[in-house]
Amino acid sequence: MKVIQARRERQDKISKLMGDYLLKGYKMLGECCDACGTILLQDRQQKNYCVSCQEMDSDIDKDNPALNAQAALSQVRERQLAAQTPEVNGGPSTSSSQAGGSVPQPRPEHCEGAAAGGRTPLPPPAAPPPSAPVPAASLATARPPAPPQSAVFRPVLQDAEEAVLTKLRWATAQLQSSPSLEASIQLCSLITSCANSLRSLKELSQ
Amino acid sequence: MPPSERLRLEHVLEMVSALEAVILRSFGPEGGQVLFTRNTGQAMLSRSGTRILSALHLEHPLARMVVECVWKHSRATGDGSKTFILLLASLLRMISKAISRELGASHTYGFTEAAKAAAAPHLANKLLELASSDLDDLVAVNVVPYGFCLSLEDFTTHRLLLASFFHTRVSHVHCSYLSELTCEMLNRWKHKSDLPCVSLQFLSDNFPALHTPVSGFPVSSSRLIEGQVIHRDFATARLPNKQQPVKAAVFTNYMQPVLLGPGDVLKVGYGDGVTEQNTMVHFSAWTERSLESVIAKLQSLGVSLLLSAVKQSDAALALATQAHMSLVECVSEEELSLFMQLSGVTPVSRGCTIQAKHVAALSFCRPILLGAHRYVHVAFCEAAETCELNPCSLVICGPGEEQTDQYICAIRDAVCMLMTTWEPKHTSEAAASHGTVQSNKSPASSDMTTQSTANEPYVLKKCVLEPGCVIPAGGTFEFLLSKALLNSSLPSVSQLLANALLSVPRQIYSHSPKLFLQAQTRIMSLVQNPSNSVRLKESTSESTVDLGLESVACKCQLILAVVQCATSVLRVDTVLHAHTALHTRSKKHTNSSQDSTEDEEED
Repeated sequence: MKVIQARRERQDKISKLMGDYLLKGYKMLGECCDACGTILLQDRQQKNYCVSCQEMDSDIDKDNPALNAQAALSQVRERQLAAQTPEVNGGPSTSSSQAGGSVPQPRPEHCEGAAAGGRTPLPPPAAPPPSAPVPAASLATARPPAPPQSAVFRPVLQDAEEAVLTKLRWATAQLQSSPSLEASIQLCSLITSCANSLRSLKELSQ
Repeated sequence: MPPSERLRLEHVLEMVSALEAVILRSFGPEGGQVLFTRNTGQAMLSRSGTRILSALHLEHPLARMVVECVWKHSRATGDGSKTFILLLASLLRMISKAISRELGASHTYGFTEAAKAAAAPHLANKLLELASSDLDDLVAVNVVPYGFCLSLEDFTTHRLLLASFFHTRVSHVHCSYLSELTCEMLNRWKHKSDLPCVSLQFLSDNFPALHTPVSGFPVSSSRLIEGQVIHRDFATARLPNKQQPVKAAVFTNYMQPVLLGPGDVLKVGYGDGVTEQNTMVHFSAWTERSLESVIAKLQSLGVSLLLSAVKQSDAALALATQAHMSLVECVSEEELSLFMQLSGVTPVSRGCTIQAKHVAALSFCRPILLGAHRYVHVAFCEAAETCELNPCSLVICGPGEEQTDQYICAIRDAVCMLMTTWEPKHTSEAAASHGTVQSNKSPASSDMTTQSTANEPYVLKKCVLEPGCVIPAGGTFEFLLSKALLNSSLPSVSQLLANALLSVPRQIYSHSPKLFLQAQTRIMSLVQNPSNSVRLKESTSESTVDLGLESVACKCQLILAVVQCATSVLRVDTVLHAHTALHTRSKKHTNSSQDSTEDEEED
């Protein structure tokens, strides 16, 4: 429902922008944009212009973890849930990152298959699934929300930080020895984006 | 770019939504104006949906098709071009929603696009059937009782209707002045024995010859002047004498036979060779003699004004001046035809003898200075044909050319709108219903009650749309018709149309949703208490004063036109792109609305 609503609002915004451009003298072409399928406009200099690609935030960018911190957070949570589910049903704990002393509630059967595919639907961490039967044997404290997450977070974050730092070192080395101007510029932009990623990772870990 | 593309419903909806976004800000009585400028500095100011849409650069074939539909509708009714696009967009949205809901319910996930593409024209065809067959009856039974008929005798009762119309076309400051001016003009042109649509048709056909734009003056300087203004100045220095009546003759050809034109071959001395009697000199002498005889004949008939469709020769000009005649050259065809209709003369054609039937009697003929131009002003004597008419010409002033142009278009469209309002729908039944309508001669606001109650039993029997029927504006028509469609036992597509109709009042009250709900509640309560005729009278008279009036006939035609346009747009399956050499901006590009349309993109 929210998706439909969001899509409708986006379509309304696109129509409004297109109307404004038409009134400015742009020409409405009979062709569609290859990327998003919106009708193309052409300005007086015969340049084609797609309203949604070039002005609107992309519909799917908000779900891309590389571009959005929220998406990164939700991906990490999903991984954590996926990591916990096989431990409960499978056998010995596979990773040492399991928080000591906290036994998560057993997942409902339907979640197991989904978790195996790594696409667990994300329930709110503090609320247990309402329809989950609670076996007597494994009755335990409700899974505390923060510590296991941060316990699982840290190795992932550390891995990410290490990878970024490695790339940063490599880029710096390349930059020192690079003869061409274009390559230097690209290396500098790589270093900038590595630094930004490191900053976001540091914010995540706090 | 693919050589051909299958049309998706979303694509069509996006295109129509873009057009909707263009006209939305000018919609309604509070809407704004759009100023278009060209690189040459020429500007156009408009609030008319047709003009705005026609001025856009559109290469999309469906967009051009939609704009052409709007243009044709506006030519026919004069009003409702912005409402057209609004209704079209909302109808297409409802169709899309209905199809998605159906497909979602039936779990046809695999074939969504093809299923959608097939379902849309089917739904549109059902809507078209509904609109063609049942709409008039629904309107006559459920909407007309809440409106009333305008009085036939006096056009001044049309003032409110015209004021509401001008409210959507020009700035509100000038609405009342322009509507009074138009009412006065209609009154003066009204033929007492004819139906109003006859005089309105005459006005509409001859409007270019009946108005004079003058820029550089305030709107309040606009006025009506007696007779006709011929938009040309005198070619001769001498003006017609002041004695009455002034006799005039109309020439559609050259008075002096033309010597030689490009491509003409003159055979001189045919048969006998060139002799003294048949050289070029003799030929030109003959032409001069025939011209002299024409002028002499005119002088004997007492003609002192000559109106010519073409530019006469210098010799003709000189001879006319010598004979104390004035000459006006290069008069346009429309003005000449109006002159001939009003004066009852026939033009002098080549080779015929000039008789009395070619001579018109005018009460005066003098120059008139309007703005920066000097024109010829003529007035007609009381002839047999024109004794009931009081011919007048409209002088419209505006601060600049763009505003003057805007006012002229608004007045022309107002006349067209009135013509649609007064057009008889079912001629035999309309003639019968006129008898009951015309019983009361008082102004509209007070005879509304008797006429509305008189109408009600009548329309239930005959189910005919009364000519001249109007209803309070502000969404009343849409609320009533929407309610009627929802309550009727018609197929489910009526719900689609009902919901689409509500988008119009929603947009009118877009600045205040509370007003929308209030209006809806008020009208629904009227519908629920039909026996409470006192409340009906009060609330319709209040709403008339506040919101103005609109024509029921125009609205019905609008809905039918929108449904037809939606059907033809949805019937298009494929667009094939074919490049041709020249880009023409004519409105008459061809496309058929059958399946697999081939559309030549004029590039």
